[in-house]
Amino acid sequence: MNKIAIIGFGAAGYCAAAAARKCDPDALIDVYTDDGRGPYNPMLATYYVKGAIDYEAMFPFGSLDEIEERLNLCIYRNSAVTGLDGETKTIFLSDGTKAAYDNILISTGAAAFVPPIQGGDLPGVFKMRTAEDGVYLKKLLDSGKIRSGLVVGASWVGIKVVEDLVEHGIPCTLVDGADWAFSIAAFRQTAQRIHRDLEQKGIKLAFGQMLSHIEQEKDGRITAVMKNGCRFTADAIAICIGVRPNAAFLKDSGVAVNRGVLVDERMSTNLPGIYAAGDCCEAFEIQSGERKNIGLWFNARKQGEVAGANMAGRRKAFGGNALLNLAHYLDYDFISIGDVASCRDEDQVYEYEDDRYYIRAVRGEKLKCLNMIGTGESNGVVKSLFIKCFENNQAEMDMTSICHLKGSGFPDSFIDFIGRDQH
Amino acid sequence: MKHVFTFDPDRCCACSSCMIACTDQNDIDLKAGEKCFRKTYDTEVAFKEGGIYCAYLSTACMHCEDAPCIAACPVGCISKDSDTGFTIYDNTNCIGCKSCAMACPFGAPRYNGADGKMVKCDGCYIRVKHGMKPACVRACSFGALDCIMEEEYRNSGSDKACNVLIDQANLRKKEALRRWR
Ligand SMILES: Cc1cc2nc3c(=O)[nH]c(=O)nc-3n(C[C@H](O)[C@H](O)[C@H](O)COP(=O)(O)OP(=O)(O)OC[C@H]3O[C@@H](n4cnc5c(N)ncnc54)[C@H](O)[C@@H]3O)c2cc1C
Ligand code: SF4
Ligand code: SF4
Ligand code: SF4
Repeated sequence: MNKIAIIGFGAAGYCAAAAARKCDPDALIDVYTDDGRGPYNPMLATYYVKGAIDYEAMFPFGSLDEIEERLNLCIYRNSAVTGLDGETKTIFLSDGTKAAYDNILISTGAAAFVPPIQGGDLPGVFKMRTAEDGVYLKKLLDSGKIRSGLVVGASWVGIKVVEDLVEHGIPCTLVDGADWAFSIAAFRQTAQRIHRDLEQKGIKLAFGQMLSHIEQEKDGRITAVMKNGCRFTADAIAICIGVRPNAAFLKDSGVAVNRGVLVDERMSTNLPGIYAAGDCCEAFEIQSGERKNIGLWFNARKQGEVAGANMAGRRKAFGGNALLNLAHYLDYDFISIGDVASCRDEDQVYEYEDDRYYIRAVRGEKLKCLNMIGTGESNGVVKSLFIKCFENNQAEMDMTSICHLKGSGFPDSFIDFIGRDQH
Repeated sequence: MKHVFTFDPDRCCACSSCMIACTDQNDIDLKAGEKCFRKTYDTEVAFKEGGIYCAYLSTACMHCEDAPCIAACPVGCISKDSDTGFTIYDNTNCIGCKSCAMACPFGAPRYNGADGKMVKCDGCYIRVKHGMKPACVRACSFGALDCIMEEEYRNSGSDKACNVLIDQANLRKKEALRRWR
C-alpha cells in the first residue's frame, strides 16, 4: 500500500490530498498540519476584515473533520513537522514522533516576513497572512480605538490592508523602501498613475523609506522610524514587506532548497518520492526558463493537484508559471504580466491611456512585460495571448481574441503591438 | 448527460438574437449597467498583407473541460454541474476579485456594477436539465449555435464545439488570407 504524507494543509496540501485520493482509493494518506482548523485561503483574511465575507468563507474546502471523512485521510492536527530525512523519507515531529513514507509532499506555504527589529512586537504592530492576522485586525478596527494607520510595504498585501483601513474610514499612510509602489512589477509610469489615484482617495504616500525600528510614544501611539530618520506615527502599523517560504525545517534533509524548495515539472524535488507544491516551492517559470517562487492561489491548487497525482503513481506535469500579479483594491485593478526587470532601454515601448484604461507594454524580440490598469474583464484574454507568445513567438493571434479586444475598447495599435507581424 | 455547445461561424451573421434571448432569460438589466453573458461580434479585421476579414461571432462561456476559472476562484464560487458538464457558479461569497477573469482565456466572466459580484453564462443548465435548449440556442434562426449531447456530438464527426472555436476562426482566417494572396 502506498503511504503518503502531506506536510502543511493549505490549498496545495488539500488539492494534493484530493488528487491522490482520486487516483488511488487505497493509499494511506497522512496529513500533518500545524493548525487545528481546515485549510484556508490567506488572501481572504483582508476580505474578512472588510466584512465582504464571513469567517467560515475563508475555509473554501470545509472543516478538517469534513475533509478527513470526505477524502478518507488521517489528519494530525497541531502537529508541525520539525525535520525530514530525505534518504529514508522519514518525518520528525517535535515530540519525538517519527514516521516513514513512500511519498512525501512539502506544502508548507509561506510566512509573512517581519524583520527582527526593535519594537516589532509592540501592541498595534501587525502582519497579514494568517486567519488569525485577519481576526486580530478586525478586532482592532472594530474596537474604534484606531484613528490612524500606517502600512509599511506598498505591494499586494499592503494595499489590501490599506483598503481595510479606508473602508473603516481610518486615515492612512502607505510607505515603501522602493521608489514606487509595486516596484517589482510596475513600470515607473504605471506607478505614477497608481500613486495619483491612491492620493485622490485620501491615502498619503511616501517612498524611499526603509524601516529601521518602531518606538512607543507617551500618548500610546507608535512610531515607525526610517533609516533616513523620517518618523511616521499612527495607532496601528502593518508590516507587509514580503513573504518567506516555510522551508527552514528542511535544513539537513538533503532536499535542495533555494528561496523555496526546487521542483521539476512533476513537482518532484531532487530526491525521489519527495515533492513540493505551492508557496513553499520554486517551479519553472516560462519566460526565463528558470525556477521561481511565485505565490498564487491558482498555482498552489494546480501544483498540489499535479503533485498528488504523481504521488499516487500517475504522470502529470505542471504547465509552468508566468510572473503574474493582479492587485484588486478600492474598485481598482492593476495587472502585471511578465518580468519588468528584464526590460532594457533599447526595447520597444507601447503606451496607451484613455479614461478607462492605462496600458504599458515592452517587447524586445518577444513580449517582455505588460502593465494594465482598469482592464479587469479582459485580463485573461490578454494574459493567455502573452503566455502563448512566451511559449512560441510565432503563435497565431486568434480571431476570437482580436474581436474581444476590439469589442472591449482596446485600440488596434495595442492588438498590433502584442500580435506583431501576425495579422 | 454531458452537453456541448457548438458554433458554426459560417452560419452566424451576428444578428444578436441570441444576446436578446440571453438578456431576457437571465433578467439582465442593461439599463442598470449589467452586461449580457453572451456577446456577438461583427468585426472587420484588417490584415497587414492587405485585405479585410469580416468576423461574425457569438461567444459566451465555453464551458471548458478543464476550466481554469474553477481553481482560480479563491472562495470556490465556480464548479462543474455534474449532469450537464457546464461551468456553473454560486456568487454568494464572491468578493469581486476578478481572479476568474484573469484565468479565463475568453473573457467570459462579467461583473455587476452594483455589488461587483461575478456573473456569467451557466449554459442555462436548469433549462437543459429539463430537456430544453439554452435560450440563446433556441433564438438562433440560422443554426449557428447549438447545444447537443456529447455522444451525439462525437458521432456527428463535427469539429465545431465551442472549445475548438478558436482553431476554427484561425483556420478560416488562414483560408481567407490564401484567397487574397
Ligand atoms: C494578504 C494576501 C493576499 C493575497 N492575494 C492573492 C491574490 O490576490 N491572488 C492570488 O493568487 N494569491 C494571493 N495570495 C497568495 C495565496 O493566498 C497563496 O499563494 C496560497 O494560498 C498558497 O497556498 P499554499 O497551500 O501553498 O500555502 P498556505 O496557504 O500558506 O498553507 C501552508 C500551510 O502549511 C502550514 N505549515 C507550515 N509549516 C508547517 C510545518 N512545518 N508542519 C506542518 N504544517 C506547516 C501552514 O501553517 C499553513 O497552514 C495572497 C496572500 C496573502 C497573504
Ligand atoms: S446558454 Fe443561456 S446563459 Fe448562456 S449565453 Fe445562452 S442564453 Fe445566455
Ligand atoms: S469562464 Fe472562461 S475559463 Fe471558465 S469555463 Fe467559461 S470560458 Fe472556460
Ligand atoms: S470575482 Fe468572484 S467568482 Fe471570480 S474569482 Fe473572485 S470571488 Fe471567485
